[in-house]
Amino acid sequence: MYELAIIGGGPAAVAAGVYAGRKQIKTVLITEGFGGQSLVSNDIQNWIGDLNISGIELAKKMEAHVRSQQTVDIKDFELVKTIQKINDGPPVGHFLITTEAGETFESKTVLFTTGSRRRRLGVPGEDEFDGRGVVFCSTCDAPLFRDKIVAIVGGGNAGLEAVVDSIPYASQIYLIIRGNELKGDAITQEKVKTHPKVKILFNTEITKINGEKFLTSIDLVNSQTKETSNLDVGGVFVEIGAVPNSEPVKDLVELNKGREIVVDHKTQLSSQVGLWAAGDVSDVLFKQNNISAGDAVKAILSIYDYLHRNQLTGAHQ
Amino acid sequence: MATVKIYTTPACTYCIKAKDYFKAKNIPFEEVNVAEDMVAQQEMIARTGQLSVPVIEVNGKMLDPGWNPQKFEAAYS
Repeated sequence: MYELAIIGGGPAAVAAGVYAGRKQIKTVLITEGFGGQSLVSNDIQNWIGDLNISGIELAKKMEAHVRSQQTVDIKDFELVKTIQKINDGPPVGHFLITTEAGETFESKTVLFTTGSRRRRLGVPGEDEFDGRGVVFCSTCDAPLFRDKIVAIVGGGNAGLEAVVDSIPYASQIYLIIRGNELKGDAITQEKVKTHPKVKILFNTEITKINGEKFLTSIDLVNSQTKETSNLDVGGVFVEIGAVPNSEPVKDLVELNKGREIVVDHKTQLSSQVGLWAAGDVSDVLFKQNNISAGDAVKAILSIYDYLHRNQLTGAHQ
Repeated sequence: MATVKIYTTPACTYCIKAKDYFKAKNIPFEEVNVAEDMVAQQEMIARTGQLSVPVIEVNGKMLDPGWNPQKFEAAYS
């Protein structure tokens, strides 16, 4: 049995793995892959210690750092399906973790750092044309829309960066914003607002995605005037935020309305004794790589204290 | 030995992950940059019916776009 199972492979998981290694906590880290959501970012400029770094470079550095920890076993290419609490005696029982592939792990504590995934539009045609014009990775797929008209949905940093990714390829770009203002960084806003290829549609929402073999058009509604329209486009890039990957623990811990795990922000402990959470899957206010890493460190120091206080470490057995 | 071809774009993270996997496992592969090679891009889109990378071709058969090591191994082994 492990003393700690870390679930996830983003900055929170890796920071936790490094600290767990240094505390010599017998740990298993289970992840689909390393890097977290920033993996698809071309240029991260706010990771402390690097002036700028790509998502893939950062992922490689993080993976190497956690792999260097001797007490941490890494199980990658594994997705956790369920976590169950086994109440098998004092002081607090333990956890049974089952992966999609059917592998199981037992651990005395869990640190859950699975982050979040892209929010979808939830309109007719989105699923049907996913991969056939609907895009969730603009850095990957923007070059496939050369000389096409595309619509990009979302006025935050991800939406603005998708516009920047598309400028070299698309013939025209409609940036579709639900509200009446852009929210991303001012420096990127300026680039987007002033580019001749870009037209911003404020107070606008997509109501339907149409096509045959591939996506050909979208239906729109103006939320203020209620006026409807149809726009011919070859692609729709969806960049409208994220939803937390909290499903495997939804019956174990308290979630807020946004499906985030509610934690004590001093320790990162959830409502379930023995289960901590950090990073974007938790109810942290600001979703940032540096904050995720720091919160995970808080969690490990709290877990270390918990293991010793309850005499759950190998040294006590 | 099975032949492996990967259709990529330069900033595609999952393309890089797939190539790293091939290198780590000493799997020889040919790379086609479909951001530049428009003929290959059109062929890839026509054959997969999708506008997405990476596309991996094993022994002439294209897998669904995306990077999934288990699905690749199932096709490769």
